[in-house]
Amino acid sequence: MTDAAITLQGADTREAVSQDPGWFQRNRSAIIRHAVINLFNLIIILPLVWVGMMSIKSRPDSMRGDFWPRKFDFTHYAYVFEKIDTLPINLFNSIYVTFGTVAITSVCAVLAGYALVHLRPRGGAFIIATLLVSLYFPVRVVSIISIYEIQDNLGLINSTSGLILPYVTLQLAISVLIMRSMFQLVPHEMFEAATIDGAGPWKSLWMVGVPMVRNGLVVIFIVNFVTAWGEFLLCSTLTNDQVARTMPVVLAGAQGGLGQWSWPALAAVYVLVVTPGLVAFTFAQKLFFKGLAEGVTKG
Amino acid sequence: MAQATAAQRIWIFRQGINTWLFLVPTLAFFVGYQVYPIFRVLWISFTDFQYLSNEPANWIWFDNYVEAFNDPLMWKSLWRATYFTLMFLPGTIILPLLLAILVDRVSNQKLATLYRVILLIPAVIPSTLIFVLWKWMYNYQVGPINHFLVETLGLFTLYNAPQWLGGTPLTLPAVAIMEVWWGLGYHTIFFLAGLAAIPKELPEAARIDGATEWQVFWHVTRPRLAPIMMILIVLRFGTAMAVIDEYLIFGGFNRDSPTYTWTIFMYDQAFKLGLWRQGFAAAIGMIGAIAMMIVMVILIRIFRPRG
Repeated sequence: MTDAAITLQGADTREAVSQDPGWFQRNRSAIIRHAVINLFNLIIILPLVWVGMMSIKSRPDSMRGDFWPRKFDFTHYAYVFEKIDTLPINLFNSIYVTFGTVAITSVCAVLAGYALVHLRPRGGAFIIATLLVSLYFPVRVVSIISIYEIQDNLGLINSTSGLILPYVTLQLAISVLIMRSMFQLVPHEMFEAATIDGAGPWKSLWMVGVPMVRNGLVVIFIVNFVTAWGEFLLCSTLTNDQVARTMPVVLAGAQGGLGQWSWPALAAVYVLVVTPGLVAFTFAQKLFFKGLAEGVTKG
Repeated sequence: MAQATAAQRIWIFRQGINTWLFLVPTLAFFVGYQVYPIFRVLWISFTDFQYLSNEPANWIWFDNYVEAFNDPLMWKSLWRATYFTLMFLPGTIILPLLLAILVDRVSNQKLATLYRVILLIPAVIPSTLIFVLWKWMYNYQVGPINHFLVETLGLFTLYNAPQWLGGTPLTLPAVAIMEVWWGLGYHTIFFLAGLAAIPKELPEAARIDGATEWQVFWHVTRPRLAPIMMILIVLRFGTAMAVIDEYLIFGGFNRDSPTYTWTIFMYDQAFKLGLWRQGFAAAIGMIGAIAMMIVMVILIRIFRPRG
């Protein structure tokens, strides 16, 4: 499909001069290009639209499978809050665990990224190498055996707060590496100037460094938010009770059918859980792309 | 260099302390929850450690490894993970590459931004919500995929419609399709960053010299994307071989299921069966991880950009 589009473009420019083709002929390659891109866009969007539609279908329509319902029913959102008693707790768990993780990881990454670039500690190269290797080793899968033991020794099995500790490390290595490449873009002289003005390393980091790396921070916020919000393996292994779990994990265990987990009710919960991330991303997308271009591609 | 005075030495020492204060939070988490657990699992793998048993663990050298290598399920489960990777990896590299080349040519700035934002949507949906979404897509009763195949296309009836999930032969392809969908936009953005770094004069000069679009791609664009491609291939090979959440949600613990890969084998032994034979589970995990690392090194050698 795309090969055709590419060769067509070559043919197009040569023939366009000799004859007077119609609008379609002249823009053929562009039309095909946009058509192919939008086909992929459609494939990306459609499943989400389907869930959105599902959440506002009447119950009989939800079992029929038709995209457009015969009868709309907007009561499912209120219904899930009334009937699924753990829902507010699960939502709170998700928010609490995610924000804890994002805050701790960001602080760790900024401090470490700054120190690795501008304070040049001994063994810095070794730390960076270890962080890099951890990206390639299946740490998350293999370490679960030991992490269960650690959490058990700390009395953190079935504890929602306890999840934050292993969650922080899930994207810690990549966050530190992103921050490191962000701080490499900040000239060392800026920190020296701050030191001459009497600022210590902490103050110069806060006043000079953090404003310079804020695009990278946006990337780290989003990456860690997405990871913590949707984590499954650790949460389902380290907690047993539905009240201790995060919303997505409860949702993954729910079987669609009748009763409190009817299909539209499930879909309504889904929309509630997926929307915050999408909204946050839409607002932050400009900064996110900037940060991605500055930090990630060079890292 | 003259000897440092006592005051200078104290100053250097304090600088050092200060530097390490910045690194302590990261190192505490990284060592506590990544480095230590890996070495702990390595140690466990040489013992007959059973989590729920009251007996202390005994050092048994390579017995767990020998048992694992003699278990046909070990080889089968490794092969299943490989089979999944072989289905997933080409799609998740080639499709985004083609898409990136198309999006890169969009000259209208607003449209180009809009396309990027839409493409990145799946990347900002948290993993479990991706799985839940596709669990419904593939659902036998209400899923739109079967609805499309049965009602719209009429290829199947309700009685022989494909059963995608739940450990059927279709489960691994179904998961692979989902994973390609998930990574499509993110990888496209990666390639777009690489394409943006290529000076525009290079492909233009080649075109003026009479190169076809395919030749331009193969000789000008592809070599310059090689570093990005290598990183993506190696990283995605790593994630594909070590998939576990998807199999837990879609497959369960049936040993005959194609989703019963080495990761599930390990998890099953460590947290489900008997007294939780974590010594044996740790050996399975180490074998899987080391097998992966070996292939990764080979992949890096094959796809390493030359010249």
